[in-house]
Amino acid sequence: MSVRNLHLKRLMFSIGSLIDLGQEATSSKDLSAKMKAALYVITGTLSVPTAALFVYHPVRKDLDLIIGKGTRDRNLQKIRLNAKTQHIKQFTMNDPHMLRDMADTAFFRHNQEAFAKLKAKVFLPLFAKEEFVGAITLGRKLGGIPYRQGEKDVLRIIAHQMAITLHNAHLFLELAKKAEENRRLYKNMQRIYHDTIQAFAAAIDAKDGYTKDHSYRVASYAVAIAKELGWKKKDVEGIYIAGLLHDIGKIIVDTSVIKKGQKLTAVEVNEIRKHPQVSYDILSKVKFPWKDIDFFVRHHHERIDGKGYPDALQETELSEGVKILTLVDAFDAMTTDRPYRDKLGLDETFEEVMKCCGTQFDVRITKTFFNLLLRELSGEVKRPQILPHLEHPDAGYFAETQSDSDM
Amino acid sequence: MSNFSLSSKSEQDIAIMEPKGYINDIGAETLELASEQFLGNGIKKLIVNFSGVQFINTIGLSIFLSMVQKTLEYHSLLCFTNMKKDHREIFEMAGLMKYVKVFKDENDAFSYLNRRS
Repeated sequence: MSVRNLHLKRLMFSIGSLIDLGQEATSSKDLSAKMKAALYVITGTLSVPTAALFVYHPVRKDLDLIIGKGTRDRNLQKIRLNAKTQHIKQFTMNDPHMLRDMADTAFFRHNQEAFAKLKAKVFLPLFAKEEFVGAITLGRKLGGIPYRQGEKDVLRIIAHQMAITLHNAHLFLELAKKAEENRRLYKNMQRIYHDTIQAFAAAIDAKDGYTKDHSYRVASYAVAIAKELGWKKKDVEGIYIAGLLHDIGKIIVDTSVIKKGQKLTAVEVNEIRKHPQVSYDILSKVKFPWKDIDFFVRHHHERIDGKGYPDALQETELSEGVKILTLVDAFDAMTTDRPYRDKLGLDETFEEVMKCCGTQFDVRITKTFFNLLLRELSGEVKRPQILPHLEHPDAGYFAETQSDSDM
Repeated sequence: MSNFSLSSKSEQDIAIMEPKGYINDIGAETLELASEQFLGNGIKKLIVNFSGVQFINTIGLSIFLSMVQKTLEYHSLLCFTNMKKDHREIFEMAGLMKYVKVFKDENDAFSYLNRRS
């Protein structure tokens, strides 16, 4: 090959290298693979068997080795180059520095040992938009041939390209880190929000020892039905919250009325009947991320025959959520001890509910609920959602009746 | 998807590697790893058959550079066969040809290597 031809070939080859580098920089590979490929482009272009790529850590003020090539020492991955701000100021941006010319600098003295391990001859600082982002060290060229001026020019262009790629990757990682942090904060806030609502529910139930955990059970039963009916996750969450807060209006009812063991007077009944309206008044002012919470709680004492309160709505006016809450609220009242009576067994509860099915309770919702309970009793359901809340469920008759009636 | 594959075998004290497709991606590092493994196992005569190689870029060149470096470290012999003109020019430009023996085909390389102790 003539000298002229060789020059031309080299030029073509360098241009080809820059194209290779551009392709790698814009590829969809992860940063590490991208950087490795880019480093290989450099070593292949310049015939340098040993090279290393470092990423700058601005807090620690050092350069972490992320890719090493051509050295057999496994400990190389632990190499860090010290790069203080005053050192960085002495670097010429994206310009290859021959290490022998840096021998008098503090930067070289600090890192002399590492450079020896890396067999480094050239230090190439990477700057993107005047920000120091990393560096490349290059060893001796194959055969010990000196670096030519033309090769240094190619290195400058490559350094600029790699610096931008590193910088962009940093920005992306920062963004991903921030997004992750936001997600964590959101999760935390969501947990705090749920905990606060649970605390409210506990406070409501604490007015009366008999109704301890009532709201929690109502919420859990409601979720079980909603899931059976195929509700969306967000709506299931909503009915859970409504279940927890449905009795919040009871804070205005005198404790003596709630705890009264005898029949309530007309005035007392009137007072206790105000609680759905009060629950609504309180919750309608809260901007929940779930829909209809305020209406669910307002109507949880409505009936499908239109004889409920506070609005005496007709069946067609009652949402599925309301019908669920109405049933599970009554179910829990029946299956737990109350000041005025002992809890009912499952058989009695079933009979009671069936008596009111089609007048007080919606048929489809009732059927869904008892079918699920039946499956839980027979052990078909891996994670029961109703049974764990019932103490000593005596279900002999209930189970038989359920099978017979094919609900 | 990488358009590169490698088949390799050893016959007596000679290892033969046949890369195929494009050597333009770090996936082709398997070539470097294979040669390292042969050298590590005490096989010091290596043949690379280029008949199936379609394209080599700077990344590929870097991989061959590492192979050359390793063979030098192990005081071993590296032979290239079935090279096309453009492969040869790239290696010449990179200064690699000084460190490898080039033969027309595997048979010639075998004959040469068998004569070497």
